Amino acid sequence: MSFGGLHTDHRAIVAVAAIVFFVLTLVMAVLPGLREQAVSAPVGITPRSAEAERGRQVYLREGCGFCHTQFVRALPMDRPYGRPSRPGDYVGEHPPMLGTQRTGPDLADVGSRQPSEAWHLIHLYDPRAVVPQSVMPAYRWYFVEKNQAGPGDVVAPVPAAHAPPGKVIVAGPEASALVHYLLSLKQAKVSP
Amino acid sequence: MRDPGLIAAPSVDPATVRVTFEYLAWATVWLLVGTTAGLIASIKLHWPEFLPYAWLSFGRVRPAHTNLVLLGWSSLALVGLALYVVSRTSRVPLWSPRLARVALWLWNLALAGGLVTLLAGVNRGPQEYREWVWPLAVILSAAVLIDGYVAYRTVAARTLPEVYVSNWYILGGFCYLPILYVTSYLPFYQGGIGNTVVQGYYMHNAMGMWFTQLALGVSYYAIPRLLGRPIYSYALGILGFWTNLLFYPLIGAHHFIFSPVAWWLQTTAILFSVGMMVPVWAGTGNLLLTFRGASGAVRRSYALPFFIVGLIGYGLSSTQGTIEAFRTANIYLHFTNFTVGHSHAAMYGFIVFIAWGAVYGLVPRLTGREPSPLAVGVHFWLALVGILTYVIAISAAGILQGMAWVAGQAFIASVIAAEPMWLWRTIGGLLMAGSHVVFAVNVWAMRPRRVDVPAPVPEAVGIPA
Repeated sequence: MSFGGLHTDHRAIVAVAAIVFFVLTLVMAVLPGLREQAVSAPVGITPRSAEAERGRQVYLREGCGFCHTQFVRALPMDRPYGRPSRPGDYVGEHPPMLGTQRTGPDLADVGSRQPSEAWHLIHLYDPRAVVPQSVMPAYRWYFVEKNQAGPGDVVAPVPAAHAPPGKVIVAGPEASALVHYLLSLKQAKVSP
Repeated sequence: MRDPGLIAAPSVDPATVRVTFEYLAWATVWLLVGTTAGLIASIKLHWPEFLPYAWLSFGRVRPAHTNLVLLGWSSLALVGLALYVVSRTSRVPLWSPRLARVALWLWNLALAGGLVTLLAGVNRGPQEYREWVWPLAVILSAAVLIDGYVAYRTVAARTLPEVYVSNWYILGGFCYLPILYVTSYLPFYQGGIGNTVVQGYYMHNAMGMWFTQLALGVSYYAIPRLLGRPIYSYALGILGFWTNLLFYPLIGAHHFIFSPVAWWLQTTAILFSVGMMVPVWAGTGNLLLTFRGASGAVRRSYALPFFIVGLIGYGLSSTQGTIEAFRTANIYLHFTNFTVGHSHAAMYGFIVFIAWGAVYGLVPRLTGREPSPLAVGVHFWLALVGILTYVIAISAAGILQGMAWVAGQAFIASVIAAEPMWLWRTIGGLLMAGSHVVFAVNVWAMRPRRVDVPAPVPEAVGIPA
């Protein structure tokens, strides 16, 4: 049986396979990518502060996006997390963190839903201090345990049962930045 | 008991044997490291204070696990086997074992660098399977290109006119992966949601255009060889090759259903997820039908049962993937652990079992040493019971999560519902890890002899088909 003469020609097999895959790559990845990145940001969006941007780097470094999506679907079950996400929401995000797993809740609009800095600080130091059944990692390495808070220290008001006795929990620069980032996650208002 | 197809003495070029075995040995090392990372990640979901160190936190160990088992273990094992297969089916020694060894060390360099950087928190963010910083990606690309070139030159030097169907798949895989990998790293079209489009394309094609290609290429050689009979249909093998190439690259966006990614792209992805059933069942059916009436050979062989599991895993996990792509199923299953179950069913239930079958089926032929059949049996049953426990537990966790969300309960209800299943997942994972240790012992038992036999006369054994 003949397969168009290809079966005896390794060069032709490789060339055809590579060209077809390359063309499909252009059609399914590169060209749609170019189209999607041409979308413009919604009006009235406030640029992220330098501090929040540092926090975003911590968020990336710690792989928060493996458990937390930033991607609200137009489905009833997603309503608690905000309005459905739009392409414009991700303008300037490198990378955008839509995510594929929700081991933790969606954070697309967490800054509106949970605006308390103190809550976020406690939660990052020990998630189980605020949500007893949480399985989130405790990011203690971004905090310093001090005997007494110094001037300018950002104190995480951790309940006594969750902090070493007699210690004050002070947020390190990364923890502060991360909280700034989380508080900055607010969906831009858009007209429907 | 000897494998029925085992020949007494290795008749393969010793340099080809040695480099093949080095790939498999290093693959096994990365399997053990990657499994450890996976276990740590798994335990943390029901015991969050386990190993509370920055370098071992969940968000860092998870990508370390996925990258090591995908790029370290699965890729290296399949590349090693593929290099052996191209050499055997072309009836020539590997074109340049030295260059293949250079590539192996580039792989190892990239993998070690990837492990250290990911645990240190140096990454490109949670972009699955492309978390490595770009210099490591460059090293890995070089390694794949060199391996591909070695395979290509070996096939080009063949002493038969036909390019055997295995080599279509293997050379195809070596063409696709560099295109895929480079496309996933170049930034020019990845602003905003453009990145998400590429993410779907990349993580899906890594499976279908790399792992599937090599696993099928190796299977189309090893299964007929072990059974001592031709494949059921050569034409179906070729049909699978072309339909896979035409359909698979169109599917990536099904990872982002209901997302802001263009709706036409999502619908195309769902349609071709159905189209994928053609190459999947052509491949599964073709290879399983090759076993017709050979149940005796399967019972006597310790390698063939791995292939049977792998082929069934291929058909079932791919069909599961198609169903998950439908919008109705996606509503309940997306974002849940069901996806994790699917990816393990496919990568482990299909790819890894095929790789093990090929290692046990082929390596004794090339080194002349066999592992203890009892140890292979222990490996098989630990791995099979382990992956079944794992997939059932984590899929149940996913369904429970989806139900909690659909019912509109507070988010933490889905965590509480899934937690007992996460414990079961770790139990399955422990069985799998145990099987990997047994596998490592078996690989060691199959190591080539130290003394080099004089270059043997090429054996005049026909390729199957």
